[in-house]
Amino acid sequence: MTGIFFALLGASIATALAGFGSAKGVGGAAQASMGVLSEDSSKFGKMLVLTLLPGTQGLYGFIVGFLILVNCGVLGGSMPTAGQGLAYFGASLAIGIGGMVSGFAQGRAAVSGIAMSAKDDRNFSKAMVSVTLVEIYALLSFIVSLLVVISVPGLNI
Amino acid sequence: MKTVRIIALREDRKRLLEHLQDSALIQIKKNDKSEKGFSKVDLTSQMQVFERNVVLTEQALKVLDENCSEKKGMLSSFAGRREIDPDEIGVLASKAGNVINICTKITELNKKCTDNSAEQVRIGTTLAQLEAWQNLDIPLNTGNTKSTAVFIGTLPRQYSDETLAKELAEQNPKLEFEFEIQHSESNMTCVVIFTPISQKIMAEDVLRNIGFAKPMSPTSHTPKIKAQRLLEKRKKLNEESEQAKQEIISFADKRDDIRNTQDYFRIRADKYRVINELDHSRHVFVISGYIPEEDCKKLENLCNRIAVCHIEFGEAGDDAPVKLKNNKFAQPAQGIVNMYSPPSHDDIDPTPLLAFFFYFFFGMMFSDAGYGLLMTIVIGIVLKVFKPDTQMRNNLKLFQYCGISTFIWGLVFGSIFGDAPAVLYNHFTGASLTMADILPWPTLDPQKDALTLMVISIAFGLVHILVGMGCKFYVCLKHKDYGSAFFDTGLWMLMLIGFAVLAVGMMTSPIVLYIGAGIAIACAVGLVLTQGRHKKGFGKVIGGLASLYDITSYISDLLSYSRLLALGLTTGVMAQVFNMLATMFGTSWVGCIIMVVILILGHAINIGLNALGSYVHTMRLQYVEMFSKFYEGGGQEFEPFSLKSKYIKIQEEKTK
Repeated sequence: MTGIFFALLGASIATALAGFGSAKGVGGAAQASMGVLSEDSSKFGKMLVLTLLPGTQGLYGFIVGFLILVNCGVLGGSMPTAGQGLAYFGASLAIGIGGMVSGFAQGRAAVSGIAMSAKDDRNFSKAMVSVTLVEIYALLSFIVSLLVVISVPGLNI
Repeated sequence: MKTVRIIALREDRKRLLEHLQDSALIQIKKNDKSEKGFSKVDLTSQMQVFERNVVLTEQALKVLDENCSEKKGMLSSFAGRREIDPDEIGVLASKAGNVINICTKITELNKKCTDNSAEQVRIGTTLAQLEAWQNLDIPLNTGNTKSTAVFIGTLPRQYSDETLAKELAEQNPKLEFEFEIQHSESNMTCVVIFTPISQKIMAEDVLRNIGFAKPMSPTSHTPKIKAQRLLEKRKKLNEESEQAKQEIISFADKRDDIRNTQDYFRIRADKYRVINELDHSRHVFVISGYIPEEDCKKLENLCNRIAVCHIEFGEAGDDAPVKLKNNKFAQPAQGIVNMYSPPSHDDIDPTPLLAFFFYFFFGMMFSDAGYGLLMTIVIGIVLKVFKPDTQMRNNLKLFQYCGISTFIWGLVFGSIFGDAPAVLYNHFTGASLTMADILPWPTLDPQKDALTLMVISIAFGLVHILVGMGCKFYVCLKHKDYGSAFFDTGLWMLMLIGFAVLAVGMMTSPIVLYIGAGIAIACAVGLVLTQGRHKKGFGKVIGGLASLYDITSYISDLLSYSRLLALGLTTGVMAQVFNMLATMFGTSWVGCIIMVVILILGHAINIGLNALGSYVHTMRLQYVEMFSKFYEGGGQEFEPFSLKSKYIKIQEEKTK
């Protein structure tokens, strides 16, 4: 019982916290880009790219959550022991917290990037690259969570 | 790139410029100072006329779109400009006056419509005000009679007969009055008050005290008649607007004419702008500019065919613009290079390398055979059907090549619309197959072999970075900067290779491990010895040691390539989720319909999200990880004097 409880708690935390970070990031960026679009609607494509950049954290969190569900008996796989459940829980913290905070940060960077490329179209690629610099930290959190979640079914704890 | 100067007679100016514009061979150089004996001609006023016409036609098209929108296909935004015969330009010119008249008419009609609707709003307000007075049978501006003063207006409070009588009596007991309340609501009472003419001033005082105000729109008709007239006027305005709208709609079939004319004026305005820049003497004028080396012959032929002129070519300096020239495979990626910054004269053209790695990494991130095939086919059809313009065609081609790469990587990862084939087969037969069972070749499952794939990703990253550094090495050699080539770049390259060998050795045999470690240590020693070479005294040692700290930046660069795994996994897992959702509703026909809907929607969302992600992250890997190793950028893009039209272009065969 404890095992599955912690595993599901982990799945929720990974999805919800990372999603929270992305939602806030994308929301802020979307507000900024709509401000730009009200002036010049032809920039929609570029604004869309910058707006969606902070959205990946939510996806990473969702994937970790999904893989936990797949591994722990809800969508196939076998019931985890208490130790395995706690391991899933621990793994989910990485992408949950890392994704959330990097989502906030990337959202703010995206807002500035939108302001920058609104002034001059040629700044777009620079803005885009600068915004993706934040992403690496969400990515590292994701990889750690992922490697743990994949290896847990083989662990004897 | 070469510089070019064309000297020709003024009478050939129009013909020569037209041909140059059509052929888009040269970029005109702007020079502020004229040579001795030459001066500029000022054609700004003509140019402004053309520009005004462009704006007018734009407005007319906008009005047309507002009144009757055009039916457009979903993919028609990919469509290229319409090709026209060069002779058709003459036809356009002759029709231009007519079309401009139509445009003026359209904008006038539109103005009438907006004026009418403003007037209608005004009438609406007046009508609302008259509403309260509709029972009054004298005009609102009725004046005093011989013996009676008449006050018609509103009071800012609600009164009944009793309360108003009381209020007036309280204000001044001496006042004699008679009144009729027309309308009463909270905060407003419409009232007609009669007093003897002798008490007029007294009455005015009293009324001022209780906030009496005359109505906003006094008329000499009774309110009822006035309201009726206004209603009639509103109806008439409505009809007029409707008529104007119909008339605007009747011009809808002129849309193409208007577009062509707009381009005609746009082209002419461009031409006049160029003439403004040219040096003129009494009889001749001079065009100076840049031309790509391979087009020199073409230009000479063209000029000699149409006019008497003298052409001279010269070597271009460092500030000359850059035109990228690549084969079919690499050309679509030029846009990506130009988006970063066109190469400067010291750079090598990075496009072919970038193109290869772009397709390769995009495919690895998007990694689904189904999506790749879909992309390739849809783009192929769009290219065939709509014949887009060069830039759009290049962008589409870029994604088509990426699609092919995506297809191949999808086969490697065993992913065809996620695990759709296996899931659907299981759904209808009850079997429990996996993709690995279905596909006859060995696959690499990113979910099960994540660690292997991460190692592979970082290995690709190492190759990518080494290629970037190789370019730096080459550029330094070309500039005979041997110190930078061997010490700054070469040693680091060797060191990275040493680490790679070391890593391989850790998994295989200790001998390989020792070789790797040996290379790495030797390089580290070499770096410590050489990196301080530009510093003095003690700084030499510190500089050398400090440079070893750069290893952290290489490690973070390499780790950055783990996104190849992460994004590849994202595409696959999302596709799996949608496949699973789709098969949750059983095998009845209702279930099947729901399944198809979810499959289509889900995979469309997945394609949208992950194609965007793959594009952005591939670009980042190129710009941040690879370009930072060798690419300077900062060049100017070659922008030839050409037809910058929106809707039409001249057929290419005829201009040659």
